[in-house]
Amino acid sequence: MSEAANDIGFAERLRVAVRADDPLRRNVLCKSVTEAGHVIVDEHDAADIVLADGGRPPEEVRNVVGLGIADDRLRGALPRDADARQIDAAIRAVAAGLVVRAPPSRDNGFGAMREADGHALLTPRELEVLAALAEGMTNKAIARRLDISLHTVKFHVESLFRKLSARTRTEAVAKAAERRRSDVIML
Amino acid sequence: MSFSPDALTELSAAISARAGIAKNAVAAVRLGEDRHLTGMIWQADVVVVSEQSLPRKDEFELVVPGGSTLTAKLAGRDASTNIAILKTAGSMTAPSFAAAEAQMGTLALAFGADGEGSASARLGIVNFVGGEWHSRRGGLIDRRIVLDIELASREEGGPVFDAAGGCLGMSTFGPRGQVIVIPHATLARVVPQLIREGHVARGWLGVALHAVAVPDALRESADQNSGMMVMSVVENGPAAQAGIVAGDIILSVDGIAAQRFRKLARYFGSDSIGRRADVRLIRGGAVVTVQTTIAERQAA
Repeated sequence: MSEAANDIGFAERLRVAVRADDPLRRNVLCKSVTEAGHVIVDEHDAADIVLADGGRPPEEVRNVVGLGIADDRLRGALPRDADARQIDAAIRAVAAGLVVRAPPSRDNGFGAMREADGHALLTPRELEVLAALAEGMTNKAIARRLDISLHTVKFHVESLFRKLSARTRTEAVAKAAERRRSDVIML
Repeated sequence: MSFSPDALTELSAAISARAGIAKNAVAAVRLGEDRHLTGMIWQADVVVVSEQSLPRKDEFELVVPGGSTLTAKLAGRDASTNIAILKTAGSMTAPSFAAAEAQMGTLALAFGADGEGSASARLGIVNFVGGEWHSRRGGLIDRRIVLDIELASREEGGPVFDAAGGCLGMSTFGPRGQVIVIPHATLARVVPQLIREGHVARGWLGVALHAVAVPDALRESADQNSGMMVMSVVENGPAAQAGIVAGDIILSVDGIAAQRFRKLARYFGSDSIGRRADVRLIRGGAVVTVQTTIAERQAA
């Protein structure tokens, strides 16, 4: 029984190459891919799946899951703000020979301005901690960078988790990025 | 089996008569092979379309009632009210429709262009009517009108009529695919400005802002719990000239708390251009006030 479960677990561990120009973004994607139980590989040849972020579509489109890439030839096409679960599901589905499409996003229809609700707003310090989390820094490294105690860092990280209702650091970074995209106003 | 004329056949005939008239009010804006958007014929040489769905191009091909094609140039667009206008070289026959106020629970007919010189029709009711609102881009929309009609993407931008044939406005998609109407009053206010100037004049500081909580230690001196952190500053914009930099947290503009977006949107109307405004902000742990001069927003 346990052996069979292991076999399945092993079969589902895919070799994934991550392509993203933005190093922060690459970090976040690599993290969510490894947390889903896959292995990051460098060379595209050795990869079962290529996870490509934004920008121009890759020349090789077989077994590519694109994030925010408008190219019908891609086997997998997700919106740029797809969450870790969707990315994992898309990777597995494309590796199994399926085609993955997200429903057309209608959320960016012509909508009303939302006024910020005071409760869940992040403080400038929390934003700094968040930026460090996005770089994959440890609490210790963050404490050193911001010149604050380890205890204070933990306090900020917990507060971030609570405000963003995130369970992991990766999720916190992803959720904050999502918010930032939708809530920036130009004046 | 056949029924003698009754209320249902009369209703059907009445709708069909409206459709016969409305098909002269729509033009198809070609987007490519077998794809188009709908435009509303506003006057003999002007077609109104939904800004959010119009590609960033300068020239378009229209299929006008009857099926002939016309070239049209982009003559103005305003993302804040979701209105763009195309100006045709040749002239069209513009139908004239009376404006009407939407009323909740009344019948509504929405029309799209079929791409071959005729129209497609949708029937439903006005699901909700509310007061004025501000779009995410800060534009003022005179009424919130929601329809319980489903629309194909090619039908977006067409006119919506009430049972008496009065024009409620232009159909468009709100969030989550909801079909809403840009009210006739908003069109009547914005379209002439677009025809005249190609854009809607608005005041502007040249900053991108993101809401943040004011740190506990500064709440008392700031006298508010939240502010807008400056994410970026447009080079040589009014904010940059006043020395505002990324990382500053704006608390208020001319006394209006920065998180009151709607009030601010109203404040930054065309009459604000050239006005001097005190911006209160947190910088380096202290509350300071800088003076800015509001400029006209640069084309997006």
